[in-house]
Amino acid sequence: METSNVKNEFMPARNASSIADAGGEEISQEITLFAEPIAHYENFVLTNALLTSWVAVAIIIALAIFLRKGLREIPGKLQSIFEMLTEEALALCDQVTADRALSLKIFPFAISVFFLILVSNWLGIMPLGGFGILEQGEHGLTFVPFLRGATADINTTLALAVMAVLGANVFGAFSVGLWKTFNKYVNLKALGGIFKKLRHEPTIILVAPITFFVGLIEIIGEFAKVASLSFRLFGNVFAGEVLLVSMAALAAYVVPIPFLFLELLVGFIQALIFSTLTVVYFTIAASNHDEHEHEAEHEKSIIIN
Amino acid sequence: MDSIISTFHIDWKIIIAQAINFGVVFAVLYIFALKPLSKLMAERSEKIAKGVDDAKTNAYMLAKTEEEYNTAIAKAKAEANKIFQEGKKEAETKRAEMLETAKNEVASVVENGKKTLEAEKVKMVEEAKKEIIALSMLATEKLIKEKPDLNNL
Repeated sequence: METSNVKNEFMPARNASSIADAGGEEISQEITLFAEPIAHYENFVLTNALLTSWVAVAIIIALAIFLRKGLREIPGKLQSIFEMLTEEALALCDQVTADRALSLKIFPFAISVFFLILVSNWLGIMPLGGFGILEQGEHGLTFVPFLRGATADINTTLALAVMAVLGANVFGAFSVGLWKTFNKYVNLKALGGIFKKLRHEPTIILVAPITFFVGLIEIIGEFAKVASLSFRLFGNVFAGEVLLVSMAALAAYVVPIPFLFLELLVGFIQALIFSTLTVVYFTIAASNHDEHEHEAEHEKSIIIN
Repeated sequence: MDSIISTFHIDWKIIIAQAINFGVVFAVLYIFALKPLSKLMAERSEKIAKGVDDAKTNAYMLAKTEEEYNTAIAKAKAEANKIFQEGKKEAETKRAEMLETAKNEVASVVENGKKTLEAEKVKMVEEAKKEIIALSMLATEKLIKEKPDLNNL
């Protein structure tokens, strides 16, 4: 693994600030939209966001192992906190799913998303920006910090969003069946219904193609979910980091402190939003549309009778 | 699309690396924290539920025992009261009987006493009469002896 000394060419949104002079040469720090590379291993580029993500993973692993070792029937402080968090998070899940059994199935995924985002967000605003490397760029020496909020890199948020949306569909396939999940997007059942119900319901000839088309739109909707989840998280966290750097550039010592607390809150809220939306997607994927249709038809028949 | 990829430096290798990171977090959290913690919490909840059930059963049993105790006490009190009343009644009857017997005995004694006294009185009067007669006879004899001229009257 070797340290990169080539400055990346893509820096469309840069906000450079002078740090110090090093032997007469000015060192600048730039805020980039993307994570900066700090090392290369063959074709793989190690970015500071990925490094932060590994640190976050290491912290979570350490916490999990520490918790596992300290598990007692009469809980200690850490266990009590985790138990309280688990209870509250499950109660929050229940509000979305309205079913404890379903909540228990979704919960491990959602809480993992929550913890990874939370720790990553908070690591990004840790005042450890002083550790980094100096790179020779076009405009002189550039300081590249080792740590950058993992969620301030679109690759991380994209990975998480893809995992969430993909996970929701896999979960849906396991919950309601592969055929029903497939029909949600490519509604062959609706098209097949034309031949079955045409005699009794002539309007089906219009409704079925529309239903089929809605299914296709659902596919686009899944991509929109990925884009929405990833860009929301990235935008918020990145904006927070920009805000902190800007405040630090204006007045280095006292002014950024309230914003640091604000970013702690934003980090928590964003983690909560992402994980809540994940629960929502999982719940939608696990709901059986046919059951609702049957219920609606049953209600309709009751009203008619 | 290309501009987005180049602007944000979207790199599928990093996306996969981050996905693996998430997978590791999910697996570790599930195996080391959530599964054992959920198990422990479920066991504890079960114990608490059992404790609550036991407490309810105990409370029910306590209430039942208390009710039985109260019933037994009330029954015992009633029986004791009954026995007491019967005893009292019996005692009163016996008392009345004894009193009657005593009264009769007293009356008999008094009657006997009266009879004896009467007999004694009659006897005494008889004796007194005899004595008076004897004394009168003696006095008369004495008087005649002392004054012989009385015989000439």
